[in-house]
Amino acid sequence: MSESRTDTSLMGALRPWFRLLGRRRGRLAGGVGLMALTLASAIGLLALSGWFITATALTGLLLAAGVAATLDVYVPGGGIRFFAVTRTVARYLERLYNHDTVLRLLADLRARLFGVLAGLDGQALSRRRASDWLNRLTADIDTLDSLYLRLLAPAGTGLLAILGLSGFLAFFAPWVGLFTGVLLLAGWLWLTLGQARLGLRASRAQVVEMEALRGRLMEQLQGQAELEAYGSLSSHRRALEHHEARLYRGQRHLGTLVALGNALVSLLVGVAMLLALWLAAQAWQAGDLSGPLMVMMPLAMLAMSEALAALPAAFTWLGATWGAAERLNELEARAESAVVPPAAAREASTLPAGPLGAELAGVTLHYPGALVPALENVSLSLAPGERLALCGASGAGKSSVAGLLLGQLRSDRGGVALGGLDLEAWPEAARQARVAALTQRIDLLDDSLAANLRLAAPDAEEARLWQALAWVGLDGWTETLSDGLATRIGEGGSRLSGGQGRRLALARLHLRDPDLVILDEPFAGLDADTVATLSARLDAWLEGRTVLYLVHQIEEGGAFAPPGVDRQLTLVEGRLA
Amino acid sequence: MANSKVDSGGRDVRRWLSRLAASERRCLRLAVAAGVIATLATLGQLGLLAWVVSALLVEQAPLVSLMPALAAMAALLLVRAVALLVQERQGQTASLRIRTRVRGQLLDHLARLGPGWLATQHSASLASQLVEQVEALDGYFARFRPQLLLAVIAPLLVLLVTLWLDWLAAIFLLLSAPLIPVFMALVGMGAERLNRDQFEAVARLSGHFIDRVRAITTLQLFGRTRSATVEVHAAADDYRRRSMRTLRIAFLSSAVLEFFASVAIAVVAIYVGFGLLGYITYGPSPALTLFSGLLVLLLAPEFFQPLRTLSQHYHDRAAALGAADSLLAILETTPDPVRDDRPARPRLPGVLVELQDACVTHPGRGRVLGPLDLAVAPGEVVALTGASGSGKSSLLQLLAGFVGPGEGGRRVAEGLGVAWMDQRPLLIQGSLADNLRLAAPEASLEHMQEALHRAGLEALLARLPEGLDTHLGERGAGLSGGQAQRLALARVFLSDAPLVLLDEPTASLDEETEAEVVVALQALAREGRSLVIATHHPALITMAHRRLVIDAGRITEVDHV
Repeated sequence: MSESRTDTSLMGALRPWFRLLGRRRGRLAGGVGLMALTLASAIGLLALSGWFITATALTGLLLAAGVAATLDVYVPGGGIRFFAVTRTVARYLERLYNHDTVLRLLADLRARLFGVLAGLDGQALSRRRASDWLNRLTADIDTLDSLYLRLLAPAGTGLLAILGLSGFLAFFAPWVGLFTGVLLLAGWLWLTLGQARLGLRASRAQVVEMEALRGRLMEQLQGQAELEAYGSLSSHRRALEHHEARLYRGQRHLGTLVALGNALVSLLVGVAMLLALWLAAQAWQAGDLSGPLMVMMPLAMLAMSEALAALPAAFTWLGATWGAAERLNELEARAESAVVPPAAAREASTLPAGPLGAELAGVTLHYPGALVPALENVSLSLAPGERLALCGASGAGKSSVAGLLLGQLRSDRGGVALGGLDLEAWPEAARQARVAALTQRIDLLDDSLAANLRLAAPDAEEARLWQALAWVGLDGWTETLSDGLATRIGEGGSRLSGGQGRRLALARLHLRDPDLVILDEPFAGLDADTVATLSARLDAWLEGRTVLYLVHQIEEGGAFAPPGVDRQLTLVEGRLA
Repeated sequence: MANSKVDSGGRDVRRWLSRLAASERRCLRLAVAAGVIATLATLGQLGLLAWVVSALLVEQAPLVSLMPALAAMAALLLVRAVALLVQERQGQTASLRIRTRVRGQLLDHLARLGPGWLATQHSASLASQLVEQVEALDGYFARFRPQLLLAVIAPLLVLLVTLWLDWLAAIFLLLSAPLIPVFMALVGMGAERLNRDQFEAVARLSGHFIDRVRAITTLQLFGRTRSATVEVHAAADDYRRRSMRTLRIAFLSSAVLEFFASVAIAVVAIYVGFGLLGYITYGPSPALTLFSGLLVLLLAPEFFQPLRTLSQHYHDRAAALGAADSLLAILETTPDPVRDDRPARPRLPGVLVELQDACVTHPGRGRVLGPLDLAVAPGEVVALTGASGSGKSSLLQLLAGFVGPGEGGRRVAEGLGVAWMDQRPLLIQGSLADNLRLAAPEASLEHMQEALHRAGLEALLARLPEGLDTHLGERGAGLSGGQAQRLALARVFLSDAPLVLLDEPTASLDEETEAEVVVALQALAREGRSLVIATHHPALITMAHRRLVIDAGRITEVDHV
């Protein structure tokens, strides 16, 4: 399925993003219109000024020769002032309007990508936590965001300007319009498609090469102790420099292409000017064209450089946009393949009630890229109301078991059942309501205490939130805060201590009423006094629910041992011991 | 924070950038020279255009007789295109060389600062400084620097020609000339503020997005992804509304420049037109011809073009200043004192490494270790215990020579090889064999297999169809924490270093794996190597011959139980 979804050709990769842009068709057209108006004013200003000066010079000569001649100076003078003002105003409005558009597109893109990420399963997400991956993602979104302003709009405006100008000139002198139009069109094609084709491969590779350099740099920085001890610092440094050289070879190549493109713009505009001059002069000599109009034509051509100047740099780097689009498409395809067909889901009324048992039958789970499976032929069952402790070192596979039961991971082999019913048969909403987990990594939003609590219960009233805070012993502390429940807790809960964060997550759990609870190291980072109080409260709250504890190891009777463990199993490197 | 990014702050960011530019003086001068040639070619080309028009219309010359002039124009077009190409290429070359040099300097400096300093840093953000911030210098050297000079030279050239043609028109341009620095300041301030505001707002917005993406698993668990998606859109849209308010003003500065450029053309056109009609009898106006009038008009936009180009590159400058500030912060970090390259020999024969009244001091933190005396003999196993932060890692780093003793002495046996292993073993992108060869570049396949066997990884090796050639992903993706730890241990076995320093080697391992590592370390000790292990784990402490307790930087030797 995913194969048919990811079309890897350039157009195939960009098509979904064109479609997204298409939703704001009106604004995009408006922006291009303003750009075209700016350009038309610039061309008009120079062309009309040239016409005016020539007309006045010729009239002046006639007057000096004693011939009675008149020239209306007010209309062209007014036109010149008009173009000077519209050029400034249109340019200002264009910049404002297009920035507004770009920011709207950014909002669309972010929301769309977030929706995509929300559809990813744990397998895909687990590899995408690193902050450099997140930076890559936001950079890719920004790259696609510039699709309109850097690529489509200048190309569209340039094309409009060429057609408009040659049409206008053809009105006075058909040959001038036709020949300069054909020349400029050919140039436009080269500056867009030609430059894109030449730079495609190298510009696409830039991100990859930059990431390779970053990877080597990370190794050099993180592993300097070992590299220095073993005397391999300089050999590793050479590998790093090799990556840098490759990156810069690409940049040099692309830079040359852009510079050639820019030189070509200058040459193209100059040749078009010469051509216009030559053809217009012939038309003038043939008596088909007045002197002022003849002068207007090459001057109008000179102003065209503004229409084409932005194209070479933007299109030579088209490959970067292609790469970004492809990476994001791949994510989308992955999210689509992670969706469970809803046909299998049961009616809510036929689901088992009360504490939920759970079962893993011969489950094998292999993360993409991992050398060995995370779980290998694991079978375990959890009776309704039972409290099972699954022990093991980090990396032994405990979190994978949790991920399977939570529907965030799917096994390669073997079955997962909840309440005697295959997991896939559960409607998503019912599963989310009845299975809850305290994960090892606490995700806290950069938002208020209340907003973080309401993640678990969107409609909970304040009194209910205070009750949950009291349950974990955070009510007294919250009362001391001047903003109370509205206090913002910082990025990732950075204004809370580790223990406070953990307790907030437990409070979140308490706001719900699940039938199966998965608790990963519930007391990690808490002090002994807190654990003593919490342990008893947790014990009471867990009454009548099925519980799966995930712990490093259990100290029998220790203060930090989770309450009421009925049975204990140990995982070692993905296998039950 | 963002203020200091744009401000030079305490560091002389601008002088550093100028020094870097001076190191590529030749390229940058060539770029400016090429730019001047392009301007001259433009002047010549416009002059010929005005002359051809005047010859045709006023002197009624036949078109054929103007062929040489047209040919000269074509030649000048070519000269201009080539000059522009050279200008851009020279700028790029300078930028590429400077960036390579800056990254090299940073890496050299980081090597001097040593693993001790690096351990206190967030390596991902340091790496991104070495990648992105260095790359952010590009536009400044490639485009902004040459354009800064051209923005002065080119308008002057245009002005001179205009002055020769018609001094009154030149005065129109000159009147705006005192305004040029004002423009530049305006544009600069606008661009800088825009850049700063944008930078902050974008950072905040990206922060919001990244915050929600990080929490996505939890959002999934609570079934809240749909409302979070709406929130992401709302935050971005709110950002748009707020930033449009500042943009309305920020764009005004460039609109002013645009306005003057347009008005100059309009004023010149109308002045010349009226002059040619004989309406103006003042000054040089009566002497205006079609040639001089048309050329003055054509020169007016050229007078402003270099400034407009400069204003387009202004954000390159702001970006470079911000990047330079944080890069200089690294370069100006002073290394810990006396990373002695040639330490003295121990006083007693056979001792591998000896500390005498040695102290480690960190600027700002004062003395973190010592004064202490310690000698490690061959074959000895020493356990270091103590609360976290007591100085265990500092002592290991001092023994390894990653930091120098601020006071006292460190003596080392001649040619002493040291093996090192800590909680975050280095895993490089490449095969299993590449990772092992870090410790011994010449190691044979048998040796590597033997080392893996001793480190307790033969079971893993047996499960890998490609064996030693198995490719490890970036930063060891694919290996569990315990496997990575044992891979680092295999490297220790492979190296023939007599002194092995281990910092919490079993911190993230379960009991079973820990036991395997202990067995492996015992084997290492039996080979006659000296081990110094910082650890909490009882099993490791038990295997030691000596146990040292560190408290607040001082050591006490504890009798072994």
